[in-house]
Amino acid sequence: MDAFLQSLKSFVDALGPTIMLPIIIFIVALVLGAKPGKAFRAGVTIGVAFIGINLVIGLMWTSLSDVAQAIVTNTGIQRDVVDVGWPSAAAIAFGSSVGLWVIPIAIAVNVVMLAARLTKTLNVDIWNFWHFAFIGSLVVAATGNLVYGLIAAAIAAALALFLADWTAKAVQHFYGLPGISIPHLTSAPIVPIAIAVDWVIDKIPGLRDIDLDTENIRKKWGVFGEPVVLGLIIGLVLGVIGYYNAEQPLVKILNTGMNLAAVMLLLPRMVQILMEGLIPVSEAAREFMQKRASDREIDIGLDSAILIGHPAAIASALVLVPIAILLSVILPGNRVILFADLAVIPFVVAMTAPLMRGNVLRMIIAGAVTLAIGFYIATAMAPLFTSAAVSSGFAIPEGAVQITSIADGFLWPPALFVGLVKVLGGILGLAVILLLLAVAMYFYKKHTTAWEIAAGAPKPESEASVTA
Amino acid sequence: MSKPKVILVACGTAIATSTVVAKGIEEAMRDRGINVTTRQCKAAEIRSRLSGVDLVVSTTPVPDDLGVPVIQTLAFLTGIGKEDVLNQIEQLLRED
Repeated sequence: MDAFLQSLKSFVDALGPTIMLPIIIFIVALVLGAKPGKAFRAGVTIGVAFIGINLVIGLMWTSLSDVAQAIVTNTGIQRDVVDVGWPSAAAIAFGSSVGLWVIPIAIAVNVVMLAARLTKTLNVDIWNFWHFAFIGSLVVAATGNLVYGLIAAAIAAALALFLADWTAKAVQHFYGLPGISIPHLTSAPIVPIAIAVDWVIDKIPGLRDIDLDTENIRKKWGVFGEPVVLGLIIGLVLGVIGYYNAEQPLVKILNTGMNLAAVMLLLPRMVQILMEGLIPVSEAAREFMQKRASDREIDIGLDSAILIGHPAAIASALVLVPIAILLSVILPGNRVILFADLAVIPFVVAMTAPLMRGNVLRMIIAGAVTLAIGFYIATAMAPLFTSAAVSSGFAIPEGAVQITSIADGFLWPPALFVGLVKVLGGILGLAVILLLLAVAMYFYKKHTTAWEIAAGAPKPESEASVTA
Repeated sequence: MSKPKVILVACGTAIATSTVVAKGIEEAMRDRGINVTTRQCKAAEIRSRLSGVDLVVSTTPVPDDLGVPVIQTLAFLTGIGKEDVLNQIEQLLRED
């Protein structure tokens, strides 16, 4: 069994989402009753879309981390917890003892919860099971007990499904993604924080009336408000701060501007391809469910990458990059230096957009609050993160005492698991987390509409009308 | 084949739901022997994208004074009433 799981894991590890996702989508589409030809084309199209998204994210990644590094050099700050980025965190998670088991565990949790009607999300985003393994491997590092780590991973998978269900209506409406939910533990955790931030902003005269959504920026500033020009300007400003004293500053500044402009234009086009590939699957899923359970709706759980093409998510994330760097400088007690994961910020803020109605200013504030809290979470969890990395055979970057990453080292779910397990011990800590999740699910079930509106779902309205 | 009819498909983002609608229309109209091309845009961009358009299909509310027929529908997303909407589109395209 161990040998089988080992080979399954290394297989998935080696393939990555551009191959795993087409295979999974093909199988899911077939199981749901789509014609083989359509299912095959859908799978391939989705793989192509992810290759496209990865290309653009890679471009953003390179441009952003280069300029961010230059900005950090220019401001001359010293920090000893280095942000190694989520690809490293994913490698640590899949390379851990929990990573070996996380795929069958998370699938089992999903199947059981679907059968028991505790969730309506079918999570096909196998690649992002690494988030569950990440939490599990931190719990193992804290307790030294593999079983606690496996239970933690299972609870994390359930938490992701709950967050996906809760936010599904909001995401579907705002982003226009019918039949989709986002069981992604980098994106969903911000929602409770964003609800609190939104509530506070509504109490502040002046601030509450400011509407910075990209639609308004476009109207007021004309061409400067276009996403592509916005990306250019932000890229140029970042470039000036980072490269004013570099060799050939003008070349580097202009390149940064053009690259970020390209990201703003290309990312939405890639998501369009993804959507095209998803159509046969979501239609097959819908027909499958409508045939078998007329009152049952199922959402396909996907990577939040499909959200970050939205101009509000891109714009707020770009503005948050310098804010995050500033925070890392001025926050007292912080030891984290941001580096590789500055490009992950769109994933962190994307799900604030529905409840903040795409208001970029509010999204920036919610993102800044989340990141500010995150610096302290990351500083506190860095020793565990580092020891988890070492036990997965990960090479610690030279000169760094400890490591972290924004995804998910900055976020509250890993902190909640690790904190409670450390304070209360393995069994009691995990029991309390399970109880908290059960309580949240109970109240969500009891007041579903109110919870969904709080997460940004539209208030119930009449059905669509047809006018000629 | 005759000159293709141009359908402008609008939604909030010009990314997701308009893609579902555009592909749905293309496929169905091909089956019915009508030559169509689709363009996608944001609801807010409709007025500046109208030239040469025969029909507007939107998933969000749009103005009704555009001078071309407008169909606002969620049928492609919910599957409910999709056939009726397709019949309506076919009828409108065959009229002119």
